[in-house]
Formats: sequence, structure tokens, C-alpha cells
Amino acid sequence: MSAERKLLATDRAALMLQLVPYLVDRGDVSVAEAAKDFDVTPEQMRRMVRTLTVIGRPGDGGFWQMPQDLFDIDWDLLDEQDRISLTHTVGLERAPRLTAREAAALLAGLQLAGSLPGVSDSAVLNGLLAKLARGAAAAPPEVIVAPAAVDEVRERVGEALRSGVALSFTYRTPDGEPTTRTVDPIKVHIADGQWYLQGWCHLREAVRTFHLDRVSDPVLTDIPVTHADAATPALFDADRGEISARIRFPAALAPLLSAHLSGAETTEDGDTCTATMRLADERSLRRLATRFGGDIEVLSPEPVRRAVDDWARAGLAQYGLA
Amino acid sequence: MPTHPAPEERLVNLVVALMATQQGLTKDVILSSVSGYREQVDGGASKDALEKMFERDKENLRQLGVPIETIGDQADPEDLREARYRIPTSEYALPEDIEFTPAEIALLNLAGGVWGSSSMSADARSGLRKIRALGDTVDEQIIGYAPRLNVHDPAFAPLQRAIEQTRVVTFGYLKPGEPVARRRRVRPLALVDYEGRWHVLAHDLDAQAERTFLLSRITGDVELTRERFDPALRDGAGERALTGLDEVAARQEAHLEVHPGTEAALRLRRRARPAGQGLRVPFVDAHVFADELASYGPEVRVVAPDSLRELVVARLRGARERNGVAR
Repeated sequence: MSAERKLLATDRAALMLQLVPYLVDRGDVSVAEAAKDFDVTPEQMRRMVRTLTVIGRPGDGGFWQMPQDLFDIDWDLLDEQDRISLTHTVGLERAPRLTAREAAALLAGLQLAGSLPGVSDSAVLNGLLAKLARGAAAAPPEVIVAPAAVDEVRERVGEALRSGVALSFTYRTPDGEPTTRTVDPIKVHIADGQWYLQGWCHLREAVRTFHLDRVSDPVLTDIPVTHADAATPALFDADRGEISARIRFPAALAPLLSAHLSGAETTEDGDTCTATMRLADERSLRRLATRFGGDIEVLSPEPVRRAVDDWARAGLAQYGLA
Repeated sequence: MPTHPAPEERLVNLVVALMATQQGLTKDVILSSVSGYREQVDGGASKDALEKMFERDKENLRQLGVPIETIGDQADPEDLREARYRIPTSEYALPEDIEFTPAEIALLNLAGGVWGSSSMSADARSGLRKIRALGDTVDEQIIGYAPRLNVHDPAFAPLQRAIEQTRVVTFGYLKPGEPVARRRRVRPLALVDYEGRWHVLAHDLDAQAERTFLLSRITGDVELTRERFDPALRDGAGERALTGLDEVAARQEAHLEVHPGTEAALRLRRRARPAGQGLRVPFVDAHVFADELASYGPEVRVVAPDSLRELVVARLRGARERNGVAR
């Protein structure tokens, strides 16, 4: 259960407008389930339900409202079983239209989800886009996701997932010989435009993550998957190595480095930031440091600093420079 | 008993009251009868303060997509003293004839999940709740995929709000090669994720032309001004931005020599066009691409164009200057 979310009065009003049609649809629902569906704590949900019972139509001629003018719930059910059931409504039974922003969030997500191989077809997708546009209160701000090219590797991975068979392929890592892997596919992650397959590797007898750019020669096997339910680790486990490295960079660069600094200790001093991060390998920082040219300085330890210099020097040597 | 009902009570009471009326309610009737205002009238609050509160409430509800209609005096539509307010159910509620199939709900669930834990995620989930409340929805899931869009850029949320509200914004923009960020004043029109990076297509008020900005180069806060622009400018903006980026990529091509089996070869091969010698890779932004190529160090050599090679060399040199070691 998520911690209590801070909600403004307007947010709470928006939730109450959604709560009535939700309760009408569900008939009878536990506080715990309703809280989960609304991303609030059970106590927040109970408060919302109690508030609902003092809301209603204005009384005749400005007099105090009568019970038939107010929403009401089955109080015994709430007090004794922690369940919610509406017994009287005075409006709001139908779900409000999507706000422009809600529609935009779903439309952008659909562009990405709809581009996954085998997940949908264009008829379903176009139908949905039209329905969302019709269900929105105002024209949604345009948030566009350019479709990524889907190649044979991505197609085969999708097929293996759908048919529940293991996939075998050649896997190359930058610092090792290519290996042939047979993998029970569990999940395809797409993050920052990069595709990763998490699956049970028959060779390593454990769950492994494969960057799909390093996969080639994919072949569908006829081996049914046996580890589809294996627990998968978080995609980006921060580098929790033995080496503690300190780097310095301009503060303006911090947002660009945020993905790399998730586990780091960062201090800002004027225009300059210093971060302490843990690395598994002395060479781990060389790609990051050359990517940002002279903006990243490795303060310590010496071997990490030297690895960056070596990397840049070898790069320059290709041009006859040093 | 609390002195005043909570503000959300007043807002929801107002919606209920305005939906229950056909001909509309005047402001006076609303303030004296709707719970939340009524108690404050009785408590002696000034009429002026209450009217201001009512105006704010109306604005807040409109932000939530609640369509509050103002019916003015027929003889003089500008005169709002006797105006009546109402919420037409047909515009408030999701159309009754919209239905979602289980396959569509499954796809929407996947679509709503792409935002991770960002603020867009709350919007997507809220939208999904409304759709599910249409009833008879079987909650199907598409398993096996976890697509995510990155929204690390702090500029994303304010730009999206500005596009929605058609407001001019200003922000500092650090163009590569320029030592300091320059302030831009633009009308933001559409956000576009291209090759995993967010761009905003905007009408630059100083250049008097449409420009595409990379969100990661925006420094400091994006400030929304009070100045508005014509919503029609947004029409087709996403498509224009995509076409523009595609055209740039089609025009610019790098000729690269890549060492086989390296990280560079693996990453670049997929984006390359078939060519006899080496790889030919299209790119959108020379500086962004040079960043990537520099990270590959000795794994890739830029044959052409010269300008790209110089950018890569400058990065490698910079890394040496900063991290050089006395040997």
C-alpha cells in the first residue's frame, strides 16, 4: 500500500466525482480494494466516503437539506465489515469525461504500447484513439511517441512470449565471446528507447537480463517455458560495487546525469556538483566521462581516472591524435 | 461540528447542484442555497469574498474538465449579473454509447503503465478509472511487456501544462557550443519523444518561427507567463515535429568504422543503412550523436562528415584534459 498521498481540495473533489460512478458500478466493495483502485490509503478512502454522505442537492428554498437530498451509504456495512455500498444517490452516477491531460497520458502510452509486436493491430488501436478523443472534455495536449523500428529479434521475442516457448539466440557482450543462450522469456522491458529481455537462462540456470541490441540469430524452440513465473530483479539495479568513486561536474549537467546518479551521494556547491558513487569495475565510468567530454572529472580513485584517460587517448589515437 | 465544510465538499455540492438544474441557477441562488457557501453567508462572510470564492471554484472545476455553462441575459449577453449557471450532463459525462472491449481495456492498462511513477501516471490511472466505471469491464492484462517512457526532464510537466492552457513560456536553453544558456520565449505546441529523448515543438517568439527544442538542454525552471496563444496553432503540431525530425535524420548521415563485436557495433548496427564499407548511420542532432560516439572511445572512428568528427575529437580531448594523469 502506498503512503498517504498529499491531495489538494481540487484533487479530492476530482476523486469524489469518480467515486460515485465507481461505487454504483461495483455495488459493494471493500475499503481496501477501493483504496487501492484510487491510489489512496484506506483511511483516506473512509474519509472520502464519510464526506460523501454530507454532500447533496441544495435544500428547497435554502433550507437545511433533507436526507433524501444527500448521498447515503450502508453504515453498518462500513462499521462492521469495512465495506462500502451506496444506498442513495442524488446525481453524479455517470463517469465524468476524461480531462485533457488524462486523455493525453493514455494517448501517448497507447502509441508506445500499440507499437509492440503482436500486442495489438491498427484497427483496434485506431478505434481506441477515436474513442478517447470522443471521451475527452477538451482537446488533449499533443504528446507524441515516435515509433521505434521493430526488427526480427523483437518479432521473435514477441512470438516466444505469446506461444510460451523458449527462445534461443546468440548473445554478445562487449567484453566477452559470443554465447548461445536458450531463454524462457518472462518480460520485455522498454526504457529510454532501449529494449531488454528478462528471462530464465538455461545456460546460467538463473534469471538474466539481455539487451536486445546484443541479441542475434533468434530461433523459436519447441521447448515449453518452465520458469515463466520466476521472480525478476529490478531492471536497473544501481551499480553496487566495491569501488567508491568521486566525480565533479557542472550543476547544469545534473538532470542529464540523473539516471546514473540514482544511488549516488551528490552535493552542490555553487555551479559545481560533486557525487560519490559505487562502481563494480574501474572501467565503469569511462563511457560516461567521454560522453560528456571535459565536463566530468574523476577526482578519485586514481585507477578510475586513468581508465577514462586511457579510453579517450585510445579514441584519439585512431585519428593520429593524442 | 466544524465551522465550515471542507472545500472539496463545496466543490462537489456545486457540481451536484448545477447538474440537477435545467434552466440554471443564478449566483445569488447558488451562494444562498448550496452547502459550503450557504454556511458562510449565514456566518456573515462578505458577498465580495464569496463571489471571489465562487469564481475560483468555477475555474478549478473547469480545470477538472467539468463543463460549467454560463447562460447570460438574452437581451445583453455581456451582462453577467443575472447570468445562470448549469452543467449539461451530456457534456459532463462520458458518452453513453462508448464501450470498451476487454482487448481495448487490456491495451489501455498497458498504455497507462508507461509513465512509471511520474505525474503523468496519476493522470493515466485517473483516466482508466473513469473508463472502468463505464461498467462491465473485464480487467484483462497484456503480460510479458513493461514499456516505459522516461520523464526525467523537469521541463516536461510545466511544458505540458503550458501546451494544455495555451500559455507562452520562457526558459533558459543551453545550445551546444554556446557558453551560457540563452532565455527563450516560445509558444509550446507539442511534446515529442524521438529516439528516447523528449523534444518540444514551439513557436519561438524572438525568431518568429517554429523550432524544436531538446528538453534535456533546458536549464532552470520553465516559467509560464499570463500571455495566451491561439489553440489552433497546436493543430497538427505533433505531426509537423515528427516530419521535421525525420527529414533532418534523412539529410544527415555519418560514415563510421566500427570494431566488430564491440558495444559500439552492437548499438549502431541496428540503426545503420547497408553500405559497402563501414556503417552509415543517420542522425538528428550532431551534438547528441557525438556524445554517444565519444562514449565508445576506440570502438568507433568517424570517417565523415568532418564536423561530426571534430565534435567527437573535442569530447575525447576534453576528457583527457580533465582526467589526464601524469605518467
